[in-house]
Amino acid sequence: MTSIEHLLVYIVLGFYAAASIIYFAGYRWNWLGIFAFWLATAGLTINLLVLISRVIQSGRLPLTNGYEFLLSFAFITVFMYIIYEAISKNNNAGGLVMLINALLIAAIIMLMPQQIGQAVPLMPALKSPWLTVHVITAIIAYSAFTLAAGLAIIQLHNAVSADDTSVYKITSSGFAMLSLSIVLGAVWAEQVWGSYWTWDPKETWALVTWIIYAIYLHLHRRRDWRGNNARILVIIGFVLVLFTFFGVNYLLPGLHSYA
Amino acid sequence: MTAGLVLLALIGIASAVGSSFWPDVFFKTLPFRVLLLLLFINMALCTINTLKRFLQHRVQISKNWRLLLRSTGLVMLHAGVVFILIGASLYSFLGHNVQLKLLEGDTAEINKVIPTDKAFSIKLNKFTIEFNEDGSPSQYYSELVVSEAGKTALTKTISVNYPLSYKGIKAYQISYGYLTDVLIRDGDAAEKTVLAEDGDFIQFTATVRAVKVFKYIPNFDPELGLETKSVEPVNPRVVYSVYNGTELLGVGAAPFGKPINIDENVTIEFQNARPYTVLFLKTDPGLPLVTSGGLLLMLGICIVLFGPSVRKKEV
Repeated sequence: MTSIEHLLVYIVLGFYAAASIIYFAGYRWNWLGIFAFWLATAGLTINLLVLISRVIQSGRLPLTNGYEFLLSFAFITVFMYIIYEAISKNNNAGGLVMLINALLIAAIIMLMPQQIGQAVPLMPALKSPWLTVHVITAIIAYSAFTLAAGLAIIQLHNAVSADDTSVYKITSSGFAMLSLSIVLGAVWAEQVWGSYWTWDPKETWALVTWIIYAIYLHLHRRRDWRGNNARILVIIGFVLVLFTFFGVNYLLPGLHSYA
Repeated sequence: MTAGLVLLALIGIASAVGSSFWPDVFFKTLPFRVLLLLLFINMALCTINTLKRFLQHRVQISKNWRLLLRSTGLVMLHAGVVFILIGASLYSFLGHNVQLKLLEGDTAEINKVIPTDKAFSIKLNKFTIEFNEDGSPSQYYSELVVSEAGKTALTKTISVNYPLSYKGIKAYQISYGYLTDVLIRDGDAAEKTVLAEDGDFIQFTATVRAVKVFKYIPNFDPELGLETKSVEPVNPRVVYSVYNGTELLGVGAAPFGKPINIDENVTIEFQNARPYTVLFLKTDPGLPLVTSGGLLLMLGICIVLFGPSVRKKEV
């Protein structure tokens, strides 16, 4: 099972990377766009298979370690992107969004290969119904921010009009989910450790991320801040999201060191 | 709004810097607390202004359900942050917490361990660790009996994630440890048994030598040194060291029930490891406010961001 799961993870990486390259190639040859879309969908299907395999192996949702988080994070991000492309009929951000997802899967292979195929029992602190809602809302938030950042970067690069409605709507949804994740995480922390907020590095950086997006949402109401200034804030927010996951896990360990 | 955003930005930058360089002390410093206080004042004023506008235009707003919903959401989310900050301040100034160590059978009078006017006791009936197949701990259980005025008021088994709450005091399963029964034969003196904690020194009258009970290890593996192979007591040992004054004579890992010669006519014997539970006791008068604030914040944000958009001509 472990070697099959390893193989499937590599295949997901291959599909996401190939989809990214072909989306980029699609800038020159438009007809490649649909091919990239189906490659991304195929990658998403295999990503789903790996997630299902995790559920079968461990008997719980795949949300409890860094590998499972990244796998779910990539899955939700690609799923959101595919829905976005299908609705908007716009695949400009496809290359970049799929590149980010390929890098997320590559991070699993490079940083946490030992967790692939591993089914370790949960530690007592993680045995809580709050785990599911806290982590799922965090993953949806991170995915929304990734998609929003991908769109914002492409819009900045292409110097498109000031209309950034799609970026705003996706970021708003991500902000709402991040808020839920932080509050639900605090409720859980109170149950498990007796303190709803301890300024643990993960909590602190999640708050820093929340603050940048809160500032973005307020400033976006001002006409002079819409467009490129707002897009830059969305990109900074995404950098903070990445740091909250990778930077904090590897540089500032704390109570969330299992995540 | 601008002042609030500047404050938020300052708190964000300060948190990022503090978390990276001084994570243990920064968030308790006066400048950071002043920033939080200023944020509280700003958010309170913002909430009052939003509420005022809401009340001033209530007739127009109530005619437009989208606007009504959005205005309500905005008041809720800003009020939520204010509630959280007030609740956290109440805990900071009026709340208390303490760690309580209990061996099986031990009783603690609650008003002697934490400042409170509540008079009840907590007794640990039993502490158990449940293990997974791989030997890792699955759950820690403390069976607690709460007694008030000599009568049992409540019996509850708490575990990680499932605390006890009684009359405003919460008890969390936070940690555990072991004390070791040590039988001492000290020359002509009568045999005696002492209860030793990791790090305790045992002195004798028949010798100048002393023993340091270094650490109880539930599953000893020489290759792992002082780290236990698992929490399950598969191969329990007590690591000890023998001193002559300040001179270290030797270190050993003793099994239970085997006498160890320390000097002529002086032996010790580790007999048994007795588990104790560590409870985190807390009184938090701000918790209901913080919980309400969290709820308001979540609902408010969902209403404003997921609710129906307000068309410009309707504003």
